[in-house]
Amino acid sequence: MAVNYEQMIHDLVKPLVVNPDDLVVKKLSDDGNIIAMQIFVHPDDLGRVIGKNGRIANAVRTIAYASASREHKRITINIESF
Amino acid sequence: MKTLTIEAKSAEEAKREIAKTLRIAPDYMRFEVETKKGLLGIKKTYEVTGYVDADPVDIGRTTLETFFKNLDIEAEVSVNVNDNNDIEYRIDTDENPVMIGKAGKTLEAIQYYIRNLVNVFTEGHQMVLVDIGGYKANRKKQLEILATKTAKEVARTKVPVKLDPMNAYERRIIHTKLSEWRDVVTLSEGEKPNRYLVIKPKSS
Repeated sequence: MAVNYEQMIHDLVKPLVVNPDDLVVKKLSDDGNIIAMQIFVHPDDLGRVIGKNGRIANAVRTIAYASASREHKRITINIESF
Repeated sequence: MKTLTIEAKSAEEAKREIAKTLRIAPDYMRFEVETKKGLLGIKKTYEVTGYVDADPVDIGRTTLETFFKNLDIEAEVSVNVNDNNDIEYRIDTDENPVMIGKAGKTLEAIQYYIRNLVNVFTEGHQMVLVDIGGYKANRKKQLEILATKTAKEVARTKVPVKLDPMNAYERRIIHTKLSEWRDVVTLSEGEKPNRYLVIKPKSS
């Protein structure tokens, strides 16, 4: 069982954004235990992906964290616009 | 259904503008394009109308199903609209505890995310609830038992009792359960995320 976390996060964020073509989810590093993810979105979509007080971003983080815990891994997610 | 008409020099420009204004991706819209000739028939413009062509409930369900598929988790997602017109997603997976999380934290995150997602596509605010493996229904029962037991104790001893910190939804269940008790009152104290409920004897 090897989960593609990039795909998973991409599929979670994509329906939220107005500019799906500008959505990029990249794995920055993976040392076997900690996976660092980077989400790039169109500047117009940043607010929607982060949400009020970062609540949507945190919900996505919590969901990803739980998902990775099944493989005893930890995920950190950073969100930026370009 | 959200709809918007915009006139522009090119149809593509109009579509982009509509998507930006309605804040919905073009993939979820249907467009009707009308060509308009200007005076002398030289300057052509395009009048484009965009209709949101997506079912918010379906998007929520599909997104959940895709999520579990990505994780290789067997999952059943059903949707129900309750008496208050709330959309309820009931999920059952072969890994419910992971998806519910400690004290329901992950479930809460899934609900918050899905609620926001569904509301991208709705007109006005739509209440959306998510339950996994009947966790919330069970938790409600437990909390009601706890409320009744503690309230009896408080009524008997006349000593206030503080309960463990709970989220708004859980505190509400207890407030509601004890709202008609004659000999106790319930209060919420403290600040999130450590806001807790106190059951006090009614001084009469």
